[in-house]
Amino acid sequence: MEREFYLDFPLVLNYVARLLDDIDGAAAITCAAFRQVGDGLRHRSSADGLRRAEVFRAATELSRLALRPKRWFRRQRAAQVTLEGFPQPEARRALRRDTVQRALTALPFEARAMVLLRDFVKLSYDELAEVVDVAPRKLVHALDRSRAEFGEIYDYIKF
Amino acid sequence: MTTSSFERNRCTRISPSAVLDDRLDGKDLEWARDHLRRCEACRERVEDFREMLLRVGRLPSASVGSEAMDQAFALSIPDRLRSQAATRSFEIAPAHATAAPDVPQPAFPEVSAVPDLLTELEREIFRDEPVQDHPTPLGPTAEPIYPTMAASPEEIEPVKPAEAVEPVASLEPEPMAEPAGGESMEPPVPEVLRGSLREVHVDSHRPVPDWAREPDPVQVEPAAAPEDWEREPEPAPEHSKVPVASNVVFDQDPALRFDRESEPATAAPPRKPDTAMRIAVGLGAAACVLLAAVLYEGGWLTGSHKVSSTAATAAVSIHPSPTTRASVSPSASPSATAVTAPVLFTLGNGVSGGTMYRIRPGTAVAGYTRLVFDIHGGGLPTMVVTRPDDSHVAITFKGTNVAGAPVNGIHSYQVAGVEPGVQQGPDGAITIDLARPARVTAFTLAATGSYAWRLVVDLHTT
Repeated sequence: MEREFYLDFPLVLNYVARLLDDIDGAAAITCAAFRQVGDGLRHRSSADGLRRAEVFRAATELSRLALRPKRWFRRQRAAQVTLEGFPQPEARRALRRDTVQRALTALPFEARAMVLLRDFVKLSYDELAEVVDVAPRKLVHALDRSRAEFGEIYDYIKF
Repeated sequence: MTTSSFERNRCTRISPSAVLDDRLDGKDLEWARDHLRRCEACRERVEDFREMLLRVGRLPSASVGSEAMDQAFALSIPDRLRSQAATRSFEIAPAHATAAPDVPQPAFPEVSAVPDLLTELEREIFRDEPVQDHPTPLGPTAEPIYPTMAASPEEIEPVKPAEAVEPVASLEPEPMAEPAGGESMEPPVPEVLRGSLREVHVDSHRPVPDWAREPDPVQVEPAAAPEDWEREPEPAPEHSKVPVASNVVFDQDPALRFDRESEPATAAPPRKPDTAMRIAVGLGAAACVLLAAVLYEGGWLTGSHKVSSTAATAAVSIHPSPTTRASVSPSASPSATAVTAPVLFTLGNGVSGGTMYRIRPGTAVAGYTRLVFDIHGGGLPTMVVTRPDDSHVAITFKGTNVAGAPVNGIHSYQVAGVEPGVQQGPDGAITIDLARPARVTAFTLAATGSYAWRLVVDLHTT
């Protein structure tokens, strides 16, 4: 459990930061994702450990909720986790001025998650299918569409 | 894996993702290779996709320090699972467990003396709050419930850095033999209470209580805190405000549901339901919006006196009174009107002999009404736009015939009507009756294409 956490936490954190385009808010969602998955282990043998796909799935869903349009009557109840020395100022600046990141941000959420999970996190197709909840036989076409859209946006904004 | 579609007359039979991610085998792979050898469009697409893939793959990653990882671990992993980490054998996490904490230990309740059912219940309640010992006030009684909290403060004093940390009994499922190695094999009690550590839950529909936030580091002194807890079983210290901005998740909807089971077991005092207040506020806002819309559409938003003046103006234009007619009557001198009325604009090039033959109203934009005066002739005559009063705008076309221009049916939100053109010698005058006070702007346009010379007058709502 702990080894998996320490191995995957930076990757999940960077994935969420790219997905949200907000490195400051990524820590809270990442911690919540690990917590959600860890809490789910209560119902089964904890010897299984944290499954990577489950963590990324939880992080993706929490990010989707975070990006959901907010209703005006919602109370402000949310999380902020301040980790020691994170994010670094240079990491925050890099996220802001990166053209690839801007193109990613312009993508729809599903396409962005798919591109990031496959090309940035480098999940396998089976893991990716589990995270984004797409049938494996349809995953290639979904990836094609996402990458093509990403390429078009990138070509449009790169200059 | 192939596709059989063409996109913009471009071959898309090859799925670049299938090629790049090695999803083809057997005959598909052979066919794809053969096709890629022959089809330049597909080759380009695959190369484009490869570039995109590499760009995303080369995105830099922010590094997470070991302290941050420890904090995140303490926040993320439930206690039950964290306690199993005593067998950790890797060195990724720095040993901060032996450091003396700056604030009192998180005072987990000593549950060894209570029944197992209560133990499980409390673990479910407390597992999400590593900083707090109990999520709700424990009741009016002043004496603490848990033996750990009732014990002397010395029990939770920070240990010295040189000594090994005495594992908390509640965190240790079973006694383990102390390794001779020292710190490397001791159970990883994560450092959960740092000065900057801050957690507000995203996971429930409960509002964030004050006790779940980080206490003010100034107020949390290790020596004074236990006495405070003993005196007051309902700790409600003043906390620093959680920043609202600069965090995506701060004003989001609750995200996690993993502690839903523990909610019924929480001994929280009954909260006042705010549903009625929300409904009332929503209904009030909706009523305000509807009222504003009705007022705006009905034209009552500008005030009752303006409504009456508008009505009077409209009546005057339909049944012209002698006073109104006097300003535009043939007997009246237009020069006199121009002298008495303030001149707003003087436009044109002084060409005479033309004819203003048409007035085109336009109301495509709600904020103003545009009137376009089309003029036949060799150029623009001198045009003087005056404002005799708040309800009228007069336009005098020097040396231009305006008598034949139709003016029927010109009305809008700003314009009550346009009076027929009055010819006074060589000059012609057009009077616009305003429905409400309006700001006037005017400009001219030269003849171009099928368009004649034009005077454009815009009447903006003030």
